[in-house]
Amino acid sequence: MSERRRAVVDTLFRFQSLFGLIAVFVAAVIFSPSRNGELLFLSSDNLFNVVRAVSEIGIIAVGMTFVILIGGIDLSVGAVLGLAAVGSAVLLVDEDFGVLPAVLLVLLAGLVFGVLQGMASAMLGIQAFIVTLAGLQIARGLARITSGGQGVAIAYGDGPGEAPVAFSLLGERTFNGLVPIPALIFLVVAALAIAFLRVSAFSRHVYAIGGNEKAARLSGVPVTRVKVAVYGICGLLAALAGIIHAGQLNQGSPNDGGGYELDAIAAVVVGGTALSGGRGSVVGTVAGALLLGVLNNILALNNVDPNVQLLIKGLVIVAAAGLQRLRPDQ
Amino acid sequence: MSRRSLIVATVAVATALSSVACGTTSENSGQGPSSGAADACTGADGEYVIGMSQANKAEPYRQRMDDDIATAAKAVPQFTVEFADAQQDNAKQVSDVENFLTQQIDLLIISPNEATPLTAVVKKAYDRGIPVVVLDRKVDGDAYTTFIGADNTEIGRQAGRYMAEQVLPQGGRIAEIRGLAGSTPAQERSAGFAEGIAGSGIEIVATADGDWLREKGQAQADAILKANADIQAIYAHNDPMAEGAFLAAKAAGRDQQLRFIGIDALPIPSGGIKAVEAGRLSATFVYPTGGAEAVAAAKALLVDCADVPRSQTLDTQLITPDNATDVYAKANGG
Repeated sequence: MSERRRAVVDTLFRFQSLFGLIAVFVAAVIFSPSRNGELLFLSSDNLFNVVRAVSEIGIIAVGMTFVILIGGIDLSVGAVLGLAAVGSAVLLVDEDFGVLPAVLLVLLAGLVFGVLQGMASAMLGIQAFIVTLAGLQIARGLARITSGGQGVAIAYGDGPGEAPVAFSLLGERTFNGLVPIPALIFLVVAALAIAFLRVSAFSRHVYAIGGNEKAARLSGVPVTRVKVAVYGICGLLAALAGIIHAGQLNQGSPNDGGGYELDAIAAVVVGGTALSGGRGSVVGTVAGALLLGVLNNILALNNVDPNVQLLIKGLVIVAAAGLQRLRPDQ
Repeated sequence: MSRRSLIVATVAVATALSSVACGTTSENSGQGPSSGAADACTGADGEYVIGMSQANKAEPYRQRMDDDIATAAKAVPQFTVEFADAQQDNAKQVSDVENFLTQQIDLLIISPNEATPLTAVVKKAYDRGIPVVVLDRKVDGDAYTTFIGADNTEIGRQAGRYMAEQVLPQGGRIAEIRGLAGSTPAQERSAGFAEGIAGSGIEIVATADGDWLREKGQAQADAILKANADIQAIYAHNDPMAEGAFLAAKAAGRDQQLRFIGIDALPIPSGGIKAVEAGRLSATFVYPTGGAEAVAAAKALLVDCADVPRSQTLDTQLITPDNATDVYAKANGG
């Protein structure tokens, strides 16, 4: 294979999810139902809805990308989202916190939760799968205890028992009533993560640990510290998604976010990040999340049977992972 | 792969996406704020797409609700019904309704997963002039056209009275297996039952949460039966848990000495009516899906240009071995 041809093939695989996203997008345009000559899929309202709908999963998936890059996994993110949503609601409604203190406290809780999981995994040497499976149960239990087992409704106003009106912005749109704020937050988080993974020494450590942990340790990478930090980031982002969840739905419910960990992992995998670690990118994850979002949307707009939708989504995930296997190893 | 080409590719895609997104802003000019039903009706000559947003198709009761809607809608030639399944996720249900709005449906039927999280998006639909039929579970506020549902407290009360008057008229000791802790139907079926047995000689000596699930009901009943040698009947908040309790009693060799009462009476092969017919349950109470009534309301609103009541409470029906066969046949078009 010529050098040039290899470069082309490499590019194709490297940006598989971006090309996949474009392919699914084009397919969505082609299969879009139309009304009065206008393609429903391409209406700006609909496109922003797509991004809004994936924003929570997308934010979680960005954190999950870091974890999977070091060869780990975090099953607790959906439950941490639920805990954060409940925490936000309880702090704002029952405890009369302001928006900023409540948000900061919840983010801190998510960070600490992640850090503890990272420590259990890195220092005690317990497998990440087990640690975060336990974390899932613990976060769910905490959420049920905090909320008394019921959804905590968020009403807005100035009085006691009412959340500051500013928090309701999370469920609203900006820029001419068009761009949903959760989507903006997702794009900002993604941009920061992409920049972070491009420029920092931390990112080299992340890839090194995922590639070969023992070699990384021998070459002086602070493996334990990096691992703890990565799980901390993942917990922090799950908490951020939980705050957005509470804002969008005006409620924090202890059952929120059930199964979101699997959607996030799916976005990461479709995005071309290897579950074995060491290979992948946040760009890919963002594309993967959007791809799944566009797919969900176009299936719904075409009124595909919900049961068949599950089937198609499953096949797409397998196909994306299958394509990765064909990738020539560097 | 260099860093530069990655940035170039990212920018290229971002530009592609945003240029597409910006190309079609014309659609978004808001319609006037009309209030639901008013001008949706164009009579019998129209064709109407109804969006049905279901909270969770994994529950047999909700699958039956969808089926009832599909069956009833077949009789109205002007109607096409599209179904969405939120898989018990509030956020997914919000997206489902948003997608229906994009499709410009003519009427929304929704059985909300929970009230508060769905209120805003239901109001959005209603404010666009789309009539909204809310089924089984309510939303907050009053931005909907009509609510159709049954009264869980009343059903619980009737179950209590049946227990007190028919099953154990001499009084006795019973156990209660509840639905998911914290859920409104579980609270109401419990409170109503307590009212129904008030003043009788019946004492609830054991309660447990069965989370609406057959296997959980079985496990809880198993523990209750071991701890209480003298209970005479078990009241469960739904039929699957009552069936689970029956299985536990059978395993303990006590199914002949105990009586079992459930709620829901779904007219499906695995439902409560068949369980009563087969003698496993003593009685069950119909918790109607409201599917047929929802389509009738849609027909009134869209085709007949008629008014519908703001709220419709559906009646329950007692199912015993005497009427189980008839009710089952009738519910399935027999």
